[in-house]
Amino acid sequence: MVLTDLRQGQKAVITNLAITNEVVKQRLLHMGMHEGEKVCVKCVMPFGGPVMVEVDGQYICLRRKEAACIGVR
Amino acid sequence: MSSYIALFGNPNTGKTSLFNSLTGSYEYVGNWSGVTVEKKVGILRQHGVPIVDLPGIYSLQPLSRDEGVATDFLLTEPCSAIVNIVDASQLRRNLHLTVQLLEFGKPLIVALNMVDVAEKRGVKVDAEKLSRCIGAPVVPVIARTGKGTKELVRAILSLSEQSGEREHVAIDYGQDVEAAVQKISEQLPDDLLASKRWLALQFLEGNERIHAYLQTYMDIAPLIAVRDEAQQALGRPLAEHIYDARDKWIVHAIETSTVIFQQKPLTLTEKIDAVVTNKYLGLPIFLAFMYIMFMLTFDWLGSPLADLLDQFFSGPLTEWLSKLLTLVGASPFIQALVLDGIVSGVGGVLVFVPQIFILFFFISLLEDSGYMARVAMVMDRFMEAIGLNGKAFIPMIIGFGCNVPGVMAARTIEQPKERLLTILLLPFMSCSARLPVYALFAGTFFAKNQAIVVFSLYVLGIVVALGLAKLFSSTLLKNESSIFVIELPPYRMPQALTLWRSTWDKGKGFVRKAGTFIFGGSVAIWLLTYVGPKGIGVSMDDSFLAVIGGVLAPILAPLGFGTWQAGASLITGFLAKEVVVSTMNIIYHAKDMDLLQGAITQHFTPLSALSFMVFVLLYIPCLATVATIRKEAGSRKWTLISIGCALTIAYTISFLIYEGGKLFGY
Repeated sequence: MVLTDLRQGQKAVITNLAITNEVVKQRLLHMGMHEGEKVCVKCVMPFGGPVMVEVDGQYICLRRKEAACIGVR
Repeated sequence: MSSYIALFGNPNTGKTSLFNSLTGSYEYVGNWSGVTVEKKVGILRQHGVPIVDLPGIYSLQPLSRDEGVATDFLLTEPCSAIVNIVDASQLRRNLHLTVQLLEFGKPLIVALNMVDVAEKRGVKVDAEKLSRCIGAPVVPVIARTGKGTKELVRAILSLSEQSGEREHVAIDYGQDVEAAVQKISEQLPDDLLASKRWLALQFLEGNERIHAYLQTYMDIAPLIAVRDEAQQALGRPLAEHIYDARDKWIVHAIETSTVIFQQKPLTLTEKIDAVVTNKYLGLPIFLAFMYIMFMLTFDWLGSPLADLLDQFFSGPLTEWLSKLLTLVGASPFIQALVLDGIVSGVGGVLVFVPQIFILFFFISLLEDSGYMARVAMVMDRFMEAIGLNGKAFIPMIIGFGCNVPGVMAARTIEQPKERLLTILLLPFMSCSARLPVYALFAGTFFAKNQAIVVFSLYVLGIVVALGLAKLFSSTLLKNESSIFVIELPPYRMPQALTLWRSTWDKGKGFVRKAGTFIFGGSVAIWLLTYVGPKGIGVSMDDSFLAVIGGVLAPILAPLGFGTWQAGASLITGFLAKEVVVSTMNIIYHAKDMDLLQGAITQHFTPLSALSFMVFVLLYIPCLATVATIRKEAGSRKWTLISIGCALTIAYTISFLIYEGGKLFGY
């Protein structure tokens, strides 16, 4: 399952970060998105817009394309 | 050489707030990541120690231009101590930077900020225990209110008095990495400013800035070989391994020093976000906010205040001044210079101060509340369609105040292409200096629909900017992908004092410009109207200004304003856009807005006024913006493209409006 499969308000654990863009990956790592962290989808913007997630009390907004590369369980 | 005390910390942890209370200065603060994009130097109050505020970073590996400023500082500037500001409610993430700074080897103090926020969220941090764990003093502070600053200053002073090397906290990264660190350290030259262990670790982690730095000192091929070897021995990426080792150490430090007594989510922030970033309501709410901002600025509140000020300038002030001048026996020349030149020119611009302050107040509100980052999120899908990202919207909003800080704010955008594009489209954001021109013309010709007309001009600026971005991103600059990741800070109640300072800080630039640039410009313009090829004291139509403006008049004729007056004011408008109004005040001998409005109705029709406003909106970035673009884009070519585009687009659109409007019989 990937992050975009979660519905608003659903929680999961990150299993892998298979993001190809190195800058995005580094940013997310710096902000605390790591394997094994709990993640909760807070909201999804319309028309394929970005998603907002919460990790360890931190709100992060990323694009759906990248969210689709984040495996969750 | 004096050495600095440097402020480091994650973005949006209150570094600048702390800097302000330590130094007593009023640097710009806001509730979003990337407010500070340049280092700022101040002096520690009462102690004379220089202290420097740096852009926020998550790690010492820079991903964007503003972050590079912080890493470069460590590499090139001498610093005697580091104050690392840490958000107590986000300890784990924040301490990753702390570890890297400890490894740097300079004396370090942790300023534990937002202890109040952390406690509200059910986390209590024991500063003593944390201090013992990390081997550095920890001082709890609340930067927004200045609480704990005294203790922090005491700690800083006692730290800089201690001489000698500090005991390092060394994380053991395991045999393979430690061996690699050892090998690299041995090869590094001795005269570098930074500690060898730190350089070696940063290099192993893959910090490109360090890579480039070492390259200027030595042949780094052997270092790369060491790195590859270590990576092979580990069987996994070095950066991951190093990260995990640090994380383990940090988790241990947090476990021994903090008590979680209650798991409480950010209820208020969640409640607000449920509305303002709602799937369907997000965009309408943002547009409604902008609409209210414009109505208040131009209609409900701003215009009546501007009128009052105008009455004062044209009435009592002019009277007093003329009495005073007669009293001191000033010559008619001086009297004319002061009353027709300076009062008309400077006063004509100053009457718009209330409107500009209202606009700045709203921009400050946007920045300080935490809504700014949400706007970036709401706008991202749209910005993606034109080859940009939501983050580019932040410099654009700042650009509504003034284009210069807007261009600077583009530094937080990671991808060089997106950053360049944002810089190029910024001049089309209608800055506050253009506002007097709209207020004058819209107030004269479209009095009933003033706010709507002005709002449409702002929208036109955005549409042109975005169209141009789309054009560039799909032609000249198409080989780079667009990316978007942003941190959303918790909302907080904007404080009246911070809001006022923030508004004043932006607004004072406008007032200062009126006192310097526009003052000087008014004198020069008035002199140009007073002297002409045939001598001194000529009639306006024979003056030098008429000659200069007259050159442009035929070119401008198809746009509906082919007079020398319009030409002259547009030329002087390159200095600063509000000078367009100053020039017209002087040229038309108008002492107040009513007289000026009367004068321009004789030279403009509603259609040509609209065409003129559009032209002023688009025609050229002002002198200060051009200089900033040149510096930030680092390219003369792109600066010239920016100017060329602006002129072409302005001419074309004004032409279409005027000629099109004539066809429809306006």
